Amino acid sequence: MRSKFTWMLTLITVLVLQFSYAQEKTITGVVTDQDGLPLPGANVTVKGTSTGTQTDFDGNYSISASVGGKLVYSYVGQKTVEKTVGAASTINVVLEQDAQALDEVVVLGYASASKAELTGSTVQVDAAAIEQVPVASVDQVLQGKVAGLVMNNSSGTPGSTADIRIRGISSITAGNNPLYVIDGVPVTNTDNAGNQSSGSSLSPLASISSNNIESVTVLKDASATAAYGARGANGVIVITTKKGREGKTSIAFNTSYGFSNDAVKGPDVLTGAEREMLYYESLYNTYGTSQGFSRDEAQQFYENNLGFFGSAYYDWNQAGRQEANWDEVVTNKDAAFREYNLSASGGNENHNFYASLGYFNQEATVIGSEFERITGQVNFQKSLNSKLKFRTNNSASHSYQDGLLETSAYFSSPRTVKFFAPPIEQPYDENGEINLNTTLPNPLWISQEDIDDSQLVRILSNNSLEWETPVENLRFTTRANIDYQVYNYKRYRNRIDGDGASTNGYGWQSHSSRANYVFQNYLDYTWNISEEHSIDLKALQEYQKNRYYYLEADGDSFSDDGLTNLNSSGNPTTANSYFTDWAIASYMGLLHYSGFNGKYVFDATYRREGNSRFADDHRWGNFWSVGGAWNVHRESFLADSNVISNLKLRASYGVTGNANIGLNLYQSLLNYDSDYAGTGASYPGTFGNSDLSWETSHTYDIGTELGFFNNRITANVGYYYRESKDLLLSVPLSLTTSFTSQTQNVGRMENKGLELEVNFDIVRSNNFNLSLGGNMATNENKVLETALDGAGEEINITTGTRRVEAGHPVYGWYMVSWAGVNTETGLDEWYVDGEGSETTTSWSQANQVWQGESALPTFTAGLNFHVDAYGFFLDANGYYAGGHKVFEDWTRYTNGTDRFSLDLYNGVDAILDRWQEPGDEARFPKMEYTAKPWQNSNKFLYEGDFFRLRNLTFGYDFNQNITETIGIDALRLFVRGTNLYTWVKDDRLKYDPETAADGFTSLTTPPVKSFIFGLNVKF
Amino acid sequence: MKRINFIYKVAFVAISIVGLNSCTTDDLDPSTEQNKPVEGGITTVSNLEGIIKGAYSAMTSSEYYGRDYIITNEVRTDNCFANGSSGRFTTEAQMAYNENNDYIWDNAYDVIASANIVINQDISVLDGDLDYAKHLQGQAYTLRALAHFDLLKSYGQMHAGGTLGVPYVKEFKGEDLFPSRNTIEENKTDIAADFQTGFDMMSTAYNDSSKQFLNKYAAKALQSRFNVYFGMWAEAKAAAEAVINSKLYTVLSASDFVGSWAQDGSSNSIFELAFSATDNQGINGLAYIYRLGDAGSYGDVQVINEVKDIFEDTDVRGLFPDADGNPTGILGYEGDRLRNIGKYPDNRGYDNVPVIRYEEVILNYAEALLETGGDALTQLNMIASNRGATPYTSATKENILLERRKELMFEGFRFDDFVRNGEGVEKLYAQQNLQATVPYGDYRLAYPITNAEINANSNIVQNDQY
Repeated sequence: MRSKFTWMLTLITVLVLQFSYAQEKTITGVVTDQDGLPLPGANVTVKGTSTGTQTDFDGNYSISASVGGKLVYSYVGQKTVEKTVGAASTINVVLEQDAQALDEVVVLGYASASKAELTGSTVQVDAAAIEQVPVASVDQVLQGKVAGLVMNNSSGTPGSTADIRIRGISSITAGNNPLYVIDGVPVTNTDNAGNQSSGSSLSPLASISSNNIESVTVLKDASATAAYGARGANGVIVITTKKGREGKTSIAFNTSYGFSNDAVKGPDVLTGAEREMLYYESLYNTYGTSQGFSRDEAQQFYENNLGFFGSAYYDWNQAGRQEANWDEVVTNKDAAFREYNLSASGGNENHNFYASLGYFNQEATVIGSEFERITGQVNFQKSLNSKLKFRTNNSASHSYQDGLLETSAYFSSPRTVKFFAPPIEQPYDENGEINLNTTLPNPLWISQEDIDDSQLVRILSNNSLEWETPVENLRFTTRANIDYQVYNYKRYRNRIDGDGASTNGYGWQSHSSRANYVFQNYLDYTWNISEEHSIDLKALQEYQKNRYYYLEADGDSFSDDGLTNLNSSGNPTTANSYFTDWAIASYMGLLHYSGFNGKYVFDATYRREGNSRFADDHRWGNFWSVGGAWNVHRESFLADSNVISNLKLRASYGVTGNANIGLNLYQSLLNYDSDYAGTGASYPGTFGNSDLSWETSHTYDIGTELGFFNNRITANVGYYYRESKDLLLSVPLSLTTSFTSQTQNVGRMENKGLELEVNFDIVRSNNFNLSLGGNMATNENKVLETALDGAGEEINITTGTRRVEAGHPVYGWYMVSWAGVNTETGLDEWYVDGEGSETTTSWSQANQVWQGESALPTFTAGLNFHVDAYGFFLDANGYYAGGHKVFEDWTRYTNGTDRFSLDLYNGVDAILDRWQEPGDEARFPKMEYTAKPWQNSNKFLYEGDFFRLRNLTFGYDFNQNITETIGIDALRLFVRGTNLYTWVKDDRLKYDPETAADGFTSLTTPPVKSFIFGLNVKF
Repeated sequence: MKRINFIYKVAFVAISIVGLNSCTTDDLDPSTEQNKPVEGGITTVSNLEGIIKGAYSAMTSSEYYGRDYIITNEVRTDNCFANGSSGRFTTEAQMAYNENNDYIWDNAYDVIASANIVINQDISVLDGDLDYAKHLQGQAYTLRALAHFDLLKSYGQMHAGGTLGVPYVKEFKGEDLFPSRNTIEENKTDIAADFQTGFDMMSTAYNDSSKQFLNKYAAKALQSRFNVYFGMWAEAKAAAEAVINSKLYTVLSASDFVGSWAQDGSSNSIFELAFSATDNQGINGLAYIYRLGDAGSYGDVQVINEVKDIFEDTDVRGLFPDADGNPTGILGYEGDRLRNIGKYPDNRGYDNVPVIRYEEVILNYAEALLETGGDALTQLNMIASNRGATPYTSATKENILLERRKELMFEGFRFDDFVRNGEGVEKLYAQQNLQATVPYGDYRLAYPITNAEINANSNIVQNDQY
């Protein structure tokens, strides 16, 4: 590792030291736009050199150039101007608006297009927005910025994965994650930690520093995703890394430091005293009548029968009734966060580069967990001659996650301790040492002694060669990309207390490597029919291969404490390895027509793709889309309008695919990973399906983009309808076949919704700007058809809480309806057949019924506010999601009105609202000395609506006079708060409202509330 | 000219790259390095042996003989209760189970599927010892009978006032993928036939001293259990006699009994499932649920305090205190909690789990003799006197059932002994999780068929009141 560092540092140093020497004079001047407004940040370069500068906030620049040399002035959206240096030492330049380039350029992966020429639905987030948001994983910047994108973090543990859903859910049992594309290449985004289900997850995206990212584009509809058609049904997220810029080498140093705490405190639990009171009450309710004692005599009854009930409360009273406060002792208050990133960028006409080195470190909000990452990036581009251009983008990173036991109700996790450890058992003993005499493992000890470490090394190398062929306007490009991920997971359970104690220690390590190769060849041809008409054509051939190798071993009976590698295991118990692969081959053609000066735009895309997941005869699928746009504002009748500055109508229709299923499912296979009596055994593994083929989505999308008053007000309204067919459905089989399911192409589902984005530049001036923007989206999801069984009956997928059935939202909530606590008996009652039907006190006699909603929000909105004045700026953005329900999980334990809460574990303080005597109206039934079974019902199904102030950033850009004095180009200071405010509609929902995509609250790390101080310097 | 050359070179390279990258359907064949196709995957007798071992392995799963099947039948009786320490088995102990639990339904049919692959294989085309292949098919018939018998006992409506049994599946991926339930009588016929075929096809030449694989007499021993369960006394007597006359097994003496649980393949073992240091259910195993151990485990299933009183002090199956009063028998204490200390003693779950042992066959024989008018007392006392207990003076149904309770305690027999004799489960002790006595005929005496089955297969009729 150290040698790699040295190498990178040397490289950066060399690149930075590219000073240019010339016999020169100093030219100064001001760059303005056609209205005379200064253009801050315009590039001024000396042609043919790497010398360059940027204008300040008043449009002023100063540059050294030799007489006779040429200065090039450029600014995004304006026409580039060249001036020859003459006798004058002042050159003022006016950059005219460039009608064609007025719009931002949107990166679509294989291609990019100006916004006006788009026929599809996309949203792009640029570096400026990304840089202000120091996050472990770049996808986290998308929430609230993209209409129709719903993001759920499965855990707030730094570096863990997130579920992203674009425009709802298109598949029932195949994957719903979007496709990720980095620098034009589809990459895999599989959670490397997937092989161990009980620890923190680690997202491959977390291995990429957001500092190195130029833009993130979300492609939503068929036209936008068509180029990736076969895998575009769930949307595509296109990530583009930074390129070098022509001009003098500029160095940027970004640093931020901060601290975080849980954004939402979570439910409060019973104190020891409350728990004791309820315990006696439970004895009274259960035994009072039969044993003949009163409510007040319950404690005496308990103390008379310690042999039966155990003496925990008696001992606690004897020891002085000390409250344990487990929650406090495991909290890592003000968990530290820091990030440093040093980058350099520069170049001239022949070559340019971008290089960076970054360090990121974030502690979790509970003890014993953190995430650390070191990243390096070198992007280099060189013109080998006038016809050949070579480009290479390389990144390497090492991520380390000190994870914890989460995702379920693990007794020894610091995340669960407050719910499970009795509050009358002390974290520390009388000597101040960690108390190991607890009924459940003490997480203080576990986090100190046990290990759940993940390490991920990821190397991405993307190399391309571009050839301007002798045929005019015909370009050939070939590209080779390697994405190599090496993942190592180490688990150790100590010998003394916890899960490893019974085997004298337990160790497990796994090692995997994933190599993903992509090779692309493509031809680009631009046919300029006339000045007003042009056609862009692209033909592409792509091959992708993924190889995954996995190795694991475990063992127990460790020789001594503190020796945690398998080397010290006296009893190796498992050795396992396997290899899997998949391959995709594609051919794609793309046609883009722009006519009458861009008034009319037409796109057509065709992609044929073959995937190794499907049966031989059904391996290839055809995907296509057509899209058109009419830039009405370019018509003569609107050309002179002072009001309407942009009016575009667009529509698209297309077929995209999804192949997000497990490997080898079409084959009927025997598995050999079993053994019996020390010898290998085999058993039926997959049912197989020789007809297995693509799942397709048919989407149409219409929309209009509007701009008023020189685009001071912009709006973007769209509607989509997507029907997914031949779903890759894991159809439940009769278990008598010994298979739980068979993957079949069956079923249909629809998603439809409206999307709206608006932005108001309320004040747009030299020293003061104010803007307000927002987006909102609706989504309505419905299953149209599911599989049928032998008797022609629909096969519905039902769990204890959710169901998939035609006519309802996918995985809609489906459970027993709770009828309340009977005011006379104090017992929970349930409706036999849903609300309004007769009630029963026996939960198992109540039938599950539809509860109306699913876990997927039907309405989401984002709100952005920006103001800047004289260098100060304030940005705020918020996120709202609603129309869905979330389910409180683990209530059997945490909300138990029985021994689970009062005797064995602990409970939430909500259960204090319980029935005590006839006439009481309460949410919880009477306390009882028993252990009740799981009784999931809509008592714990809450409205999921919430609003969250995601970011609030306040900063200052130092004035150029100051920065010049101290010899730097730019200096920015900012403070940022994340998740400072959260509003939850349903006050019964005490957990963080951002749940995993399945809508279950979980006992994992919630999102954090943090304050971050940042400093950005440019030299 | 030079320029043209350059163009040619580049164009040539470009065309080559494109050519190299072209793909056909065959190029997209995935690797299957860990699997083999079912069709054509069995070409040798040793392949067939691999499949039958897969069936045995499925029996060791935690939901089946690895834990749940045994524990569920214990906690529903007056032997054990679930103390809730990890929340496991309180539902079963209260008989409050519902259709969201798949219990042994999936596991037993896994065993059956593997057995069917072996049974339906045309062995004449295989390479290897074809006599052994026939023996393996005999094992498969026996396993198929046993798994269906276990399913029938769990889900059949014999004691809940119905006539339905379970689907009897005889083909792997056969014609009918959505089978209906057969009747109890149909199940009984099929099970009896499969046990008999299993016995007939197996050969004594392949008797296995490890007891980890079925042999001829294991089929007979299991058949005696089946016959006793359904009160087919003459058949039970004949089956037990076949086992006894094989002279392959002995009743362990009192001094060997406790220690035998820590050993594999004892002389009283007829068929046991293999568990070892490298293949065990770990925290989901029997030991982990019966005891807390020194290091702390689940320990949910505790012995009801009154159980110790049914044993004499001299009985090794009770507390069997030594000179200092410390328990040395099967029963024992952890703190003040009465526990199963002696059966499945390795807390890491490394002990084999007996499926059928000779003592049960003797008790089956005793009961069959009692019902058919033979000398039951000798057989009954063969057990009692080898455990340090006072011999019985007469053989009665009560005595036999009491001796079965003592001998087979913690092995999952008590519940079946109640219901096959027309009894429900009585709430006798405070520690029992039951709220009240469950009378014979109550719907809870038949397990609910899992929703996973009901939803996928509308031909299946759910048991009443689920």
